[in-house]
Amino acid sequence: MGSSHHLLVFLMFLHYAVGFTYNCVKILPDSSSSIVVEVGKNFTATCHLLEGCAYTSDDIEWRLGNLSIAKQSYHRINETAVSVTINISSDMSDWLKCTAPKESLSYKPRSIYGIFLRAGYPPLKPKNLSCIAVQEDKDISPNLNCSWDPGSRNPLIDTTYTVYANVLGTVLTHKADCKQHLARFCIVNLETFPIHMVLKVWVEVKNALGSERSELQNDSSYFAKPNPPLNVQVLTEDKFPTSLVVTWKHPIDRTILKLSYAIRYRKVTSNVWIEVPESFTRGYIESFRLQSLEPYTQYVVQMRCIGESNSSYWSNWSPSVTERTTEAKPASAPDLWRIIRPTSNSRNVTLIWKAPVKANGKIRFYNLSINQNNEKFESHNITADNLSQMYSMELPAGKMASIEITAYNSAGESPKATLSIPRSDKELPGVKDMSWSVRDEKLQVKWTAVLPLPHPLKLSEYLLEWVKIPQSVHQKELPAGWQRVPKNVTVTTLNAGLEKFKRYNISVYPIYKYQPGHVWHFQPGRPVTRPAYVQQGPPKEGPTVTVTKSKKNSAELTWEETPLDSHQGFIIHYTIFYAIGNTKQWKSETVGPNVHSYVLTDLASETDYVVYVMASTEAGSVKGTDCTFKTMKYGDGEVEVIVVVVCLSFLFLTVFIIMICLRKREVIKKLLWPQVPDPSDSSIAHWSPDFPIKADLPKEDVSVVEVDVFDGKSLCEEDKGVLPLKKDKYLSEEHSSGIGGSSCMSSPRHSVSDSDEGDSGQTTSSTVQYSTVLGSGYKGQTPSHQPPAFARSESTQPLLDCEEHPDHLNESQSRSSYFRRGRELEPGVLAPECDGGSLTFCPVQEEEPSPVAEEPPASALCYMPQKSGYRPQ
Amino acid sequence: MNCHVGNMVCLSQRSQAKFRMILAILILIAVELVHPTVSCKNETCSQLLRHSLRLTRLMSKRTTELLETYKTSQDFADLICDMQMDNVPVSTVSGQTISQRILSVYTHLKEFLPHMKTVMEQQKDLNPPTNPVAEGLNRMITHVRHIAVRVNCILEILQPNIPIPEPAESPTGIPHAQNIFQQKAYGCIVLTRLQELLSQAVQEQKSLKKGKMCRKSTKNGS
Repeated sequence: MGSSHHLLVFLMFLHYAVGFTYNCVKILPDSSSSIVVEVGKNFTATCHLLEGCAYTSDDIEWRLGNLSIAKQSYHRINETAVSVTINISSDMSDWLKCTAPKESLSYKPRSIYGIFLRAGYPPLKPKNLSCIAVQEDKDISPNLNCSWDPGSRNPLIDTTYTVYANVLGTVLTHKADCKQHLARFCIVNLETFPIHMVLKVWVEVKNALGSERSELQNDSSYFAKPNPPLNVQVLTEDKFPTSLVVTWKHPIDRTILKLSYAIRYRKVTSNVWIEVPESFTRGYIESFRLQSLEPYTQYVVQMRCIGESNSSYWSNWSPSVTERTTEAKPASAPDLWRIIRPTSNSRNVTLIWKAPVKANGKIRFYNLSINQNNEKFESHNITADNLSQMYSMELPAGKMASIEITAYNSAGESPKATLSIPRSDKELPGVKDMSWSVRDEKLQVKWTAVLPLPHPLKLSEYLLEWVKIPQSVHQKELPAGWQRVPKNVTVTTLNAGLEKFKRYNISVYPIYKYQPGHVWHFQPGRPVTRPAYVQQGPPKEGPTVTVTKSKKNSAELTWEETPLDSHQGFIIHYTIFYAIGNTKQWKSETVGPNVHSYVLTDLASETDYVVYVMASTEAGSVKGTDCTFKTMKYGDGEVEVIVVVVCLSFLFLTVFIIMICLRKREVIKKLLWPQVPDPSDSSIAHWSPDFPIKADLPKEDVSVVEVDVFDGKSLCEEDKGVLPLKKDKYLSEEHSSGIGGSSCMSSPRHSVSDSDEGDSGQTTSSTVQYSTVLGSGYKGQTPSHQPPAFARSESTQPLLDCEEHPDHLNESQSRSSYFRRGRELEPGVLAPECDGGSLTFCPVQEEEPSPVAEEPPASALCYMPQKSGYRPQ
Repeated sequence: MNCHVGNMVCLSQRSQAKFRMILAILILIAVELVHPTVSCKNETCSQLLRHSLRLTRLMSKRTTELLETYKTSQDFADLICDMQMDNVPVSTVSGQTISQRILSVYTHLKEFLPHMKTVMEQQKDLNPPTNPVAEGLNRMITHVRHIAVRVNCILEILQPNIPIPEPAESPTGIPHAQNIFQQKAYGCIVLTRLQELLSQAVQEQKSLKKGKMCRKSTKNGS
């Protein structure tokens, strides 16, 4: 098994080896490596059939890679050779193969031969070759750094870049191979940099398709780049405020490279460099004086150098050196301005000023001189402190003032600035109109020019003033800013750093000048002022709304204007939003910016509302705080109407009732005071079984007469001492409701009439009827012999000990009339009396028990027949 | 048949390659031969003279500095550097005419080169590896060679029709079996004499500048 397997492998190898070694075709040109062909060019290859080969030229087939080449490209040379021509493209790096097909039924494999084509481009000529050798210490570095532009075309094939350098006149050529693909730079070491020699440098680029070279040839100094000048210093000189002296050291020996220098300078505050003309610094110098500089100004100075006649590269710029020129006396006057605030009977004038534009030094102090009505008023030396560049004074309205100010620095004084403040009634005219707009986040102000004034007044310039509103309480700031523009200008942009969202009052003043003497006087005209914002924003806070009046269907809202500082813009309108409770169904009303109260109408009565006010600027809106209120249940006057109606109704009712009472008084009288039968007119009056009828019986009402049948002494008399306080009450009751009478308001049932038999039936469960047998005369009518009589009392009151007034008691003594409470009667005493038919009364047996019912048993009491009749009152 | 064609192609390619190679070598030789002349024509006379003078002045200065460095490093007295030693070229510029003196300068410069190389080698052996003298000498050799090129060009201008004799850079003739003192003394003497030669060369070139050499040559040349 193993040996047969090895034999099979050997035969396969043999077959394979024979297949590759036996070949009867060959391609020319041939190469052991790849054949480099140029892209875009035609390439012709010929396939030859070797001697003894059984194929013909017709059997030859060309293939590039795995693709057959079209037969049109074939050229049959003879029976054994066929050539093919192909146009090379950049993607044709592949095998070009010539094949002859396998013979049928032959053991021979097909013949094949190939050459590898590598497509590429010839090298491009390097452009912009430049070589630099920088300064090292006090010599030039031998390392020559060369760079070039290799071009953008990829050669596709291996391409080498080599830099050569040769000092003309010498045989030694230095060389550096650049390893990078498509190299752009290379460093060639010259061992020693040639000084004052002609150096030739060239870069050679080579590949299989060709070579190119670029070269430089120049004096060796042209390849050198010196260091910047050494030890650059800038010196100031007293009494020369407009110049600075620059000194430096040569960075390299003049025998190696003779240099010329360049100087540039600028103000510290500027980015623009000013270069000293090269002709001024052409010599081999080590100092230079910069002139025509500004006094007391910081300058930055830099230097660089180059081989004379531009025979080298420029060095880098030296590090910056900063120095300030010395002071000169101020070249311009301070900028003086004033702010006038009228007071009750004067004017508060604040003088403000700025340091001279050309201060030429540090201003030490100002001399301020004030004249009033052309007479020297006061003069001050004010220290130049940015915090106190202002002066306040009072100027009466009827006086004019002339102010002069001069600035001083260490070198001298400035020109004088003057300003006139006229009397209040002598103001000069202002500009006619003024408007502003925002452009590039700055305010642009436009105004109408003033008309020319009569001689000697001349328009000098315009002054634009801006004041932040509300004014800052910060003491360090000037209360206003201002800017002067020429008189022929009517549009300008404020160069002030105005804050966004802050209101400024912008004023335009024409400044007039006149020359009363030798000095020009300047006097501003009337200002035209407009509020302005450089940028508006939404208000910081919304107004707080309050409900001042809430009615049934309306509510009056009031809100105060928010602080001006929080407006951040012009309020264009307020919007009132209101909704019922938490319904969120907001309604809105918009009102103008000057409206600060509003009456909401069409509200639902007795309803909770939420309301807020939103303030809007052109940049946005901000809502204020919510306010909740409730509408009233009744509208204005409704309550009053109801009250009046009710009162009137009551009044009418009362009147009606009174009228009815008046008209029906007889009926009422009868109802309230039922006619009591006159006993005298009673037929019974004439009936007296035991006593004769006496004609002198009192005609007044006889109330109750009690006859003590026991011992002739009343029980009340026994209790008199016990109940003295009850006498009045009893008495009043007696007066108000004596037996046989009743008030209008008394219930009829309280009326007692024993004579009316029907009344006996009016006894209710809650009523205890008392009857007293009158045993004496009425009201002093003391019958000598009175027949026993009884009266009945009907009352809800429990029977008291005695209801008789003491006076009456006395009187009753005299009249021998008594009240007696039945319950106070001792049963043991009464019962036999009742049984014995005494004259005392007994309560009627009631249907229901009552407190009074606890009195002695009804069975022991009974109504006694009235022994004496009633008398009419 | 096929093989025959192939041999022909191969032969023609090989012969062409050989011809190109030979031609390139011949051109290179020709270029190299005319090289000094070519270099001289790249500059005007005044440029040439200016550069030559500056370079000579620079080398004179550098030689002085190098000599100081040498003496300091070798702890030598001036007296030793001034002593007589055979086989070291003299620094005296000879000749009656300016051309002869310039030629003398040129010849001496060429003579000094092998001595400078020897001193450099000796210094490398004496104080390896960071010997400032050896490093300075290496640069000096290059610059002296460059001065020689410049002077050669000046000679071409001064006597354009007379071929300039090229002194062979022969061995110094100094025996290798020198002791250290002898080597140091030899180095100092070489540098001293070189410095003297360069100083004289500066003077000669200055006289050339004063002598309106370039104006004359410009006229002649034009």
